[in-house]
Amino acid sequence: MSTVTAKTFDDVACAFPATLQEALELMADEKTRGRPLAGGTDLMVQWESGVLEMPERAVSVKHLSELRNIEETDGEVMIGASVTHMGIRRSPLTQKYLPSLVDAAATIGGFQIQTMGTIGGSVANASPAGDLAPSLMITDGTVVVASVRGEREVPVTKFWTGYRKIDLEPDELIVRFRLPKMPDGHREAWRKLGPRQAQAISKVMGSCRGHVANGVVKSFRVAIGSIAPTCVRLYDVEKWVEGKKLDEAVLAEAEQRTSDGINPIADIRSTAEYRKWVTGRIVRGFLEQLAG
Amino acid sequence: MNKVKRTWNINGERREAEIPPVRRFLDVLREDLDLKGTKEGCGEGECGACTVIVDGEPVLSCMLPAGQVPDSAEVTTVEGLEKTPGGRLLQAAYAEKGAAQCGFCIPGMIVSSYAMLSRDPDMDPGRIREAHAGNICRCTGYEKIVEAIQSAAEQWPAEAKG
Repeated sequence: MSTVTAKTFDDVACAFPATLQEALELMADEKTRGRPLAGGTDLMVQWESGVLEMPERAVSVKHLSELRNIEETDGEVMIGASVTHMGIRRSPLTQKYLPSLVDAAATIGGFQIQTMGTIGGSVANASPAGDLAPSLMITDGTVVVASVRGEREVPVTKFWTGYRKIDLEPDELIVRFRLPKMPDGHREAWRKLGPRQAQAISKVMGSCRGHVANGVVKSFRVAIGSIAPTCVRLYDVEKWVEGKKLDEAVLAEAEQRTSDGINPIADIRSTAEYRKWVTGRIVRGFLEQLAG
Repeated sequence: MNKVKRTWNINGERREAEIPPVRRFLDVLREDLDLKGTKEGCGEGECGACTVIVDGEPVLSCMLPAGQVPDSAEVTTVEGLEKTPGGRLLQAAYAEKGAAQCGFCIPGMIVSSYAMLSRDPDMDPGRIREAHAGNICRCTGYEKIVEAIQSAAEQWPAEAKG
């Protein structure tokens, strides 16, 4: 007997666990484990087009109340994995403490995609063009994953391990993000370049968080997406510019060092040359914004 | 059996369905429930022709697994608009301004308009355009659509708010 592969949506079984614990128990057993399914905005398209094979089973996590909250502690905002892009846009906590994440969420698709797609799904999809990645990376926060074995925390900057690869075991689910708040006096910025303003997949996009006082860079973190297999932090540029006074020579060199320090891909959305040049311009623009 | 049972309140009517859980909500509406007003355009989340409202939020029914639409969900499709004061106002405004040409995008477009105005009827053209960025029209150039929505927003009935 040959095994029959699921071919249409109708062939995919799907569990709707009532609690996170129940979901983790389903994931723990190979016989009940399924592809975690959140908003479906990536998976439904990838399954139908054949980019990904239709799975035999899915486990819906979108409705789990444990994953749908945005909360704060003294220093952090915690965002549940099934919070939607629209949920991120509407929350006073993210608006106050994670402004570049709010701006990034607002550029993903139209309202319909934003009400469906989730932060956990976007991160798990691990596209190099995933628009939330830079704003998560600049917080130096963590991804909390869970299984019946317990919880585990991974720095956001290490969670994407390669092109469309994440640090997640087969029995684990992404449950929340712990994101340090933007400190007082700091600013964030977000920039996305696509072929048009609405509903575009990014050629290059990025976020920064930093603090410039009296023209001197006190701190600077910058992350850029769509230029490498994963979103990347530009640690060399960050280190070089910190402590410097932002005059024209420093801005020009920061721009040049950015362009020289990256090795972007050429693909259907843009050329490598354009990405090198424009990433330099974006980083320069970020520094000017922090100073202004 | 790879099926789930769901009971929804669609356009004010209780509807039951026993369906494969990942069947697209679009197909459940059109084929299982015979609500053919909702259209399939691109089938991959770009065009917005399949937009319906689930519990107050506009969603794309072409990428929504029907099993994820929870029991007791309030669903509004284009067929339900004429049952509401705001929906009738939008229909009249679209007609008056000549906002439809070929018409294929309009079921999704006007459902997005209804979702937006139900949340916040005081809308400027920029916010109207943002709320409809997920609805593509290849005929009109959007000007008349925006005018129609502005016109409806100005007259939006108080009882249709919220």
